[in-house]
Amino acid sequence: MIRREAEIVKYEARLAYTLLIPSFVILVVLAFYPLASVFVNSFTNKIFASATKADYVGFKNYGKLLSLTVKELPPVIDEGSGQPVVDQESGKIIFERPIKVLPREPRRYKEVLQFDFFGKRLVLGATDRAFIYAAFDTITFTVVSVIIEVILGLGIAIVLNSRFKGRGLMRAVMLIPWAIPTAVSSRMWAWMFASTRVGFINVFLQMLGLGNGQVAFITSDAYQLWVMVAIDVWKTTPFMALLLLAGLQLIPQEMYEAGRVDGASKLRQFRSLTLPLLKPTIAIALVFRTLDALRVFDVFQIVLAQKRYSLASFIYYQLIDNQAMGYSSAASVIVFILIFLFALLYIKAIGGANSNE
Amino acid sequence: MNKKQISKVLNSGAFYLLVVLIFIYLAFPFYWAINSSLKSEAQLQMTPATLVPEHPVDNSFSPTLQNYKAVFRNKKFARGLLNSAVVAISTTTLALLIGSFAAFALGKLRFRGKSASLYLILAMTMFPQVAVLTGLYAVIRTLGVSAIPGMILSYMLFTLPFTVWVMTAFFRSLPISLLQSAQVDGATPFQSFYLILLPLTAPALVTTGLLAFIAAWNEYLFALTFTSIEPTARTVPVVIALFTGEIAHQEPFGEIMAAAVIVTIPLILLVFVFQKKIVAGLTAGAVKG
Repeated sequence: MIRREAEIVKYEARLAYTLLIPSFVILVVLAFYPLASVFVNSFTNKIFASATKADYVGFKNYGKLLSLTVKELPPVIDEGSGQPVVDQESGKIIFERPIKVLPREPRRYKEVLQFDFFGKRLVLGATDRAFIYAAFDTITFTVVSVIIEVILGLGIAIVLNSRFKGRGLMRAVMLIPWAIPTAVSSRMWAWMFASTRVGFINVFLQMLGLGNGQVAFITSDAYQLWVMVAIDVWKTTPFMALLLLAGLQLIPQEMYEAGRVDGASKLRQFRSLTLPLLKPTIAIALVFRTLDALRVFDVFQIVLAQKRYSLASFIYYQLIDNQAMGYSSAASVIVFILIFLFALLYIKAIGGANSNE
Repeated sequence: MNKKQISKVLNSGAFYLLVVLIFIYLAFPFYWAINSSLKSEAQLQMTPATLVPEHPVDNSFSPTLQNYKAVFRNKKFARGLLNSAVVAISTTTLALLIGSFAAFALGKLRFRGKSASLYLILAMTMFPQVAVLTGLYAVIRTLGVSAIPGMILSYMLFTLPFTVWVMTAFFRSLPISLLQSAQVDGATPFQSFYLILLPLTAPALVTTGLLAFIAAWNEYLFALTFTSIEPTARTVPVVIALFTGEIAHQEPFGEIMAAAVIVTIPLILLVFVFQKKIVAGLTAGAVKG
C-alpha cells in the first residue's frame, strides 16, 4: 500500500509537468523569447521587414530617445540701449528663440517646453521630442483617468449596492462600455467629438452655454488629451465600479447595523467603515488599471493617429511606418522597465499597507 | 403625508434620478451610434445634430437603412466578421484546453515548483503586450505562419494566464474526496481529470471562455500590426478602425456607425444573457486578492 502511494505521488508529479508543458512552451515563445529579442534588437539599427544586415550600435537608440538638456534662455538685448527688449503689449521680457541655445552636435535638440525658475527662463530640450511628449502624455493620461475612474467607480458602486428595482438591468448596462471593442467605441466617440455642431458634444456644450459649437476637440492640442481621458473613463469606469461593487458586497451588513445603532451618520459610516474595508479591493483595482492605462494604444492610434502619441502608439508607428525596428525596440524596453517599476512600487505599497493592519 | 414621509419620497426620487443619470451616461454613446447609423449623409451634416433622424426640411422622423445595406454589401466588413469569429473561437478553445491542463496541475496535483509556476503565470497577466510587439512579430514571421494563426497564437499571451488563474482557483475549490474515491476505484489521475473534474468545471469554463472570447474579439494592437501586410486577414476592430467609404476623401460616418452597431449587438446580447457569469469572472481575481 505504501509503495502504491509513492507510485501515485510520482505519477502525479510526472502528470503535472506534462500538463504544464504546453502553457510554458507558449509563454516562452510568446513572452520570453520576444522580450529577449526586443532587448537584443534595441542595441542595433535593425530595419523592419528588410533583409539588410543590422549593425550593433550600442546605446545610440537609448541616447536618442532619452537625451534631455536644460539651457538658460537669455533675453533679447536691444542693440541701441543694451537693455532687454520688452513686449509692448504684455510688458514681459522677450527671450531668445530656443534654437539658439540648444545644442546641435552630436545630435540636434528640440524644444520640449519653457519654464521660469528663480527668475530665469529655462528651456528643456530633447533629441526625440515626440517620445518625451508621448511619455509625458501617457503618464498624465494614466494618472488623471485612473483617479477619475476610481472616484466615479466608487460612486456608482455605492449606488448599485443598494436594493432597487432594475438593479439587474443596470448591472448588464454597465458591461456594455466594457464589452464594446475599443476600436469601435473610439470611433463612436470621435464622431461625438466632431469639431462642429454635427457632433453631439459641441451641441450639448452649446446648450449649456459653453463654447461656440465649433470646438476642435480632436485637432486642438489643448483638448486632445482630455478627449482620450473622457473616452477611457467612459469605457473603464463601469468595470472599476463592478470590481468595487464585488468588494462592497463582501462587507457584512451587520457592521453597518452596528454603526447605525451607535448613531453614526451615513458619511461617517462611509469614512470609517466602507473605505477602510474596501481598501484592498481599491488597491488591486488601482494596480490593474494603472498598468493597463500605461500601455494605452487603441484610442490614441484610432482617434489621434500621428497627431499625438501614447508610448504604445509611438512604438507602433516607429515599427510600422518608419520601419525602425531597433529604435522601436529600445522604446519598448523603456516602456517595459517603466511598467515594471510601477508594478514593483505598487506591490511594495500594498505589501506595506497590509502588514500594517 | 408627514415630514418624514416627504423626505423619504424626495430621497428615493433623488436616488432614482442618480440611477437614471448613470444609465444615460453609460448607454448614450451607443444610442448616438444607433441614431447616427439611421441618418443619411445629408441628415448627418445637419446642425445642430438631431437626437433622432429628422427630415432636413419638415423635421419629420425619417430614418434610413441605407447605411446598413451599404455595410452588408461591403466585402471587407463581411470578411472581417468571419476572420474575427475564426480568431476568437479558436483562441478561446485553445486557451481553455491548454489552460485547464495547467490549472488542473496547479490546483490539484502535488509536485515541486508549484507556487513558482503559479507566480510566473500570474506575473504574465501584467505583461505589457506592446513591449513585445516587435519581437512577437519576428517570431510569427520566423514560424512562417500567416496572420490568422499568428493572431490566434499570440492572443494566448493574454488569454492563457487569465484562464489558468481563474481555473486554478476553481479546481482548488473542488473537494479532494472526489479525486480520492476515483483513485480507490482504480482511475488514474488523468482519468479522474476528464471523467470527473472536467464535467464539474463546466460553469468555470463558460465564464473564462466568455472573457477570453470577448478579449480576442476586441483585440486591436496585434491584429493591426500582424495584418499590415495581409489585409484580407483583418479582424472587425481593424476593419472598423480603417473604414473608408467609396469616396476616399470623405469618411462615411453613417456606415461606420452602422458597422459599429452591428458588431456591438452580439456582444450586448452576450452580456445580457451571461451577465452574472461575466461579472463573476471579472471580479474573481480582484476581490480575493
